[in-house]
Amino acid sequence: MAQMKRYSYDLPLAGLVLLFALSLPLWAGDYMLGVGFTLAMWLAMVQSWSLLSATTGYISLGHAVFCGIGAYAMVLALPVMGIAISLIFGGAMAGLAALLIGLPVMRVRGPYFVILTFGLAELAKAIVMQAETSMGQFSRLIFNAPSLAVLYWVMLALAVIAVAAAWLLSRSRLGAGLVAVRENEEAAEAVGVPVARLKTIALVLSAVIPGMIGGLLTLRSSYFDAAQAFDPVLSFTTVTMAIVGGLRSPRGPFLGAIAFVLLSEVLWLRLPQLYMIALGALLIAFILFAPRGLAGMVSRLFASGDKSGKVAGHGTA
Amino acid sequence: MAAQLFFAALCSGALYALVALGLNLVYGTLRLLNIAHGDLAMIGAYVAFVAFSTFGLAPPVSMVLAAGLCAAMGWALYAGIFRRLFATPETAQRLEANSLILFYGVSVILQNVMALGFTSTARGYSYMGEVWRIGPVMASGNRLLMLGTALAICLGVLLVLRFHAFGWSLRAVIERREAAGIVGVNVDRVQGITIALGFAIAGVAGVLVSMTEQITPFMGFPLTIAAFVVIVLGGLGNIFAGIVAGFVLGFVETFGIALTSATYRSILIYGLFVTVLLLRPQGLFGKAIQVR
Amino acid sequence: MRRFTKAALLCACMTSIAQSVFADEAGPVRIGYSMSLTGIFAQAAPSQVNAYTLWAEEVNAAGGLDVAGEKRPVEFISYDDQSNPANAVRIYERLITEDKVDLLAAPWSTPIHLALAPVLSRYQFPMVGNTAASVQLREVAPGYIWFPTAVIPDKLGVELAKLMKSEEITSAAIMANVSPLSQEIKTYLIPALEAEGITVTMSENYPPDIRDMTTLISQANAGSPDALIALSYPADTFLFTGQAKELGVKAPFVLALVGPTIDAYQKAMGTAADNVVTVGHWSPKQEAWPKAKIFFDAYSARYGEAPDALDSALAYMSLEILEQAVAVAGLDREALRAEIATATFDTINGPVKFEGVENTVTPTSFLQIQDGSLELIWPQAIRTSEFRPKTAW
Repeated sequence: MAQMKRYSYDLPLAGLVLLFALSLPLWAGDYMLGVGFTLAMWLAMVQSWSLLSATTGYISLGHAVFCGIGAYAMVLALPVMGIAISLIFGGAMAGLAALLIGLPVMRVRGPYFVILTFGLAELAKAIVMQAETSMGQFSRLIFNAPSLAVLYWVMLALAVIAVAAAWLLSRSRLGAGLVAVRENEEAAEAVGVPVARLKTIALVLSAVIPGMIGGLLTLRSSYFDAAQAFDPVLSFTTVTMAIVGGLRSPRGPFLGAIAFVLLSEVLWLRLPQLYMIALGALLIAFILFAPRGLAGMVSRLFASGDKSGKVAGHGTA
Repeated sequence: MAAQLFFAALCSGALYALVALGLNLVYGTLRLLNIAHGDLAMIGAYVAFVAFSTFGLAPPVSMVLAAGLCAAMGWALYAGIFRRLFATPETAQRLEANSLILFYGVSVILQNVMALGFTSTARGYSYMGEVWRIGPVMASGNRLLMLGTALAICLGVLLVLRFHAFGWSLRAVIERREAAGIVGVNVDRVQGITIALGFAIAGVAGVLVSMTEQITPFMGFPLTIAAFVVIVLGGLGNIFAGIVAGFVLGFVETFGIALTSATYRSILIYGLFVTVLLLRPQGLFGKAIQVR
Repeated sequence: MRRFTKAALLCACMTSIAQSVFADEAGPVRIGYSMSLTGIFAQAAPSQVNAYTLWAEEVNAAGGLDVAGEKRPVEFISYDDQSNPANAVRIYERLITEDKVDLLAAPWSTPIHLALAPVLSRYQFPMVGNTAASVQLREVAPGYIWFPTAVIPDKLGVELAKLMKSEEITSAAIMANVSPLSQEIKTYLIPALEAEGITVTMSENYPPDIRDMTTLISQANAGSPDALIALSYPADTFLFTGQAKELGVKAPFVLALVGPTIDAYQKAMGTAADNVVTVGHWSPKQEAWPKAKIFFDAYSARYGEAPDALDSALAYMSLEILEQAVAVAGLDREALRAEIATATFDTINGPVKFEGVENTVTPTSFLQIQDGSLELIWPQAIRTSEFRPKTAW
């Protein structure tokens, strides 16, 4: 009951929000559009991350690796393929990378997995830097990047796809299998859930969109440099937003991304160090005292009958 | 040349072992992965800088100050927050599961508080920069001081673990926390002291590093990474293996560069790190504490 | 979300109404910039922000900025870009369209300058850049951005080779960080050295997070070169100097790329810093530039440390250029653009004039730390002191 009621509210609301978001470039100034781009980017990023980490409990602290791979693949492909196909190519390469590392990486568990993902991102960064150097490249300028409105629409599309994917996943057998992995991997395996395959699929799913996000970010700044593209802050911020938003709720990524973009508009611009300090403090407070995140608070506030939040105490691996 | 390389590897190794030791102690007893560990070293470096440039106090004195300050921070965190959370199994599990992210928050706070207080301009001071010749090896005074201090602290901790009653309780808590409580070890006290000790060691490491590196609010992160690589190589929570792994990393880095090229340094280290995690997540030397 | 956006829009409208009301009175001239206060470039921010702040204080103390004859106070509006070019783009869009600033000052770093160039063209808003150094700057469409720097890697390679040749250097070992500026310089330096007949005994790269240089420096020493060129960034410049001293580098010509101009470098390295050569085109010692010493003294008195001869000097210069252009052209952007593009400016670094995006007057130069101060040693025309071989560490 509660489940149905929630979606009956959410769907029309989502439609309205989407219409509004789609029309943004038609009337908003560049600055608003820039905020919209950033918001869509974080939504797409956090949602993609959640496909893997929130559903399976395998917390990735290295999702920037997929942005970096996607950006680099796009930059390499640009002269050959043109912008649109290069972007998709970037996403595909990120997915391919996830597929290749999936089996061995997803065997590693708990804190080891978290550290491993971080290490992988740093390794990939070092390799790309080395590759660029040995090719005699220092950094790459990109000319003729599409206008902000176009970039915004593409980013919005990625966000919508990510949200839709999460929604579909949550009602599919694959999703049910992944939740089983999170709740008790050994038991799931024992009853015949193809755990290894499911985990790899989840990793690939959560890698493709970040790959394209990396490409879009590179187009937005019209500049590629490995240190920027693999910036670990991207990984950390994603995890922070997801946790603050709430890991177990479909609203979590929305709320997390919106809260942070809002906070940054208010604080970061004027008082950058204070913004970072507030960010750190919020993160700590949410982990310790509000494990269900903003989504948990919202559902407690509005729908006292909403029981779908479950107990989300042991949020991570 | 070979002797010089050996000395360089020894210096790097001792520093890695020291930085990782503090991290490993905290992980071992509290199951908390402190990604702000390097930032504590950064605090230590600023203590040394202020003590030296404002009060004219030499780094050996600042080591005591930094150790005290960081230990106090560790104790305050434990007494103020962690103790209460460890009291119930549900919050304890949540804390442990999210410790890495939690300490990321701490790290961000520490870095930016220091950036607000001291600006992010690089700082530096000169102490014991003169070069000594010891047989075939050339060594600057501050690196010798670093080597000596790091070795002494590592050895000291190992001796306490082996021979002192507190060390036995500590080992008991690391290996079997629940059982240790049952047989009468005061787990709460051991955890409080260990986190203070772990933080203090990080502070001292920061003082040592400040003698040769530029001091900025962001200098801690590379140290954190190095410490993580080391404790993963050694196996999480395995104190002795962690110290050995610190030296292994120092030697792999130095001789790895010598045998190939400096340009592969990061690929080499992260490659080793990732390989060990994939193939032997329990560490190079076998037994790590069981994690789920 | 929708409600929020409305509220935000409302706020934006109100502020812009407020701005248009106040703009009628000759209020302060508002200058916007973004700065990397957090993130990977944060370490460098103070050297630039300090120079900006000093400039504003001086202008306001002198009665205000001369806007085509009318004196108006100046104030800054600045935001943090978290060292991320995409953020900086967003901030400058905001400064131009929402905050409606009168003038723009430059952010930090090459990537961010490059990312901004299209934005400035789109809004036809002129900005004098400063802390950017790359041959790629020339690929930027000229028009609304200018680069006063004389650190352009291709010229730098050629001039460095000439300097070394004139000091009778015959061989050199090179070690380079894999970061863009170092690699770019290396690419142009090696052919330039060969053209001058200088042998390259070693050329090695290393990653930015290197922690020990024993092997690199020993390898370099093994070839007994006359020159040791470390194309380094601040963190590795400190490491390099400490270990070069330890390993007893004998080469009389030692260069470190970014770092020796930072105040903390000399404090940390003591005598080991003496006679280290570095890249830079400004020195307070140059008497032909009377403003140089005044700036040095004012900065040192205000902040208790010497200005960074590269970043602080460039940041201050860029505002001097803006100031002088505004005095003639006022705040009209096209008039301002035309003035910046054509006039000659008198700065702490001597005269500056642009052709296209490039400053064609200030020569590519080199500095050497001599007895605790930075002396210009190249080119001959502006040098404040002769090159001194590095005989001791």
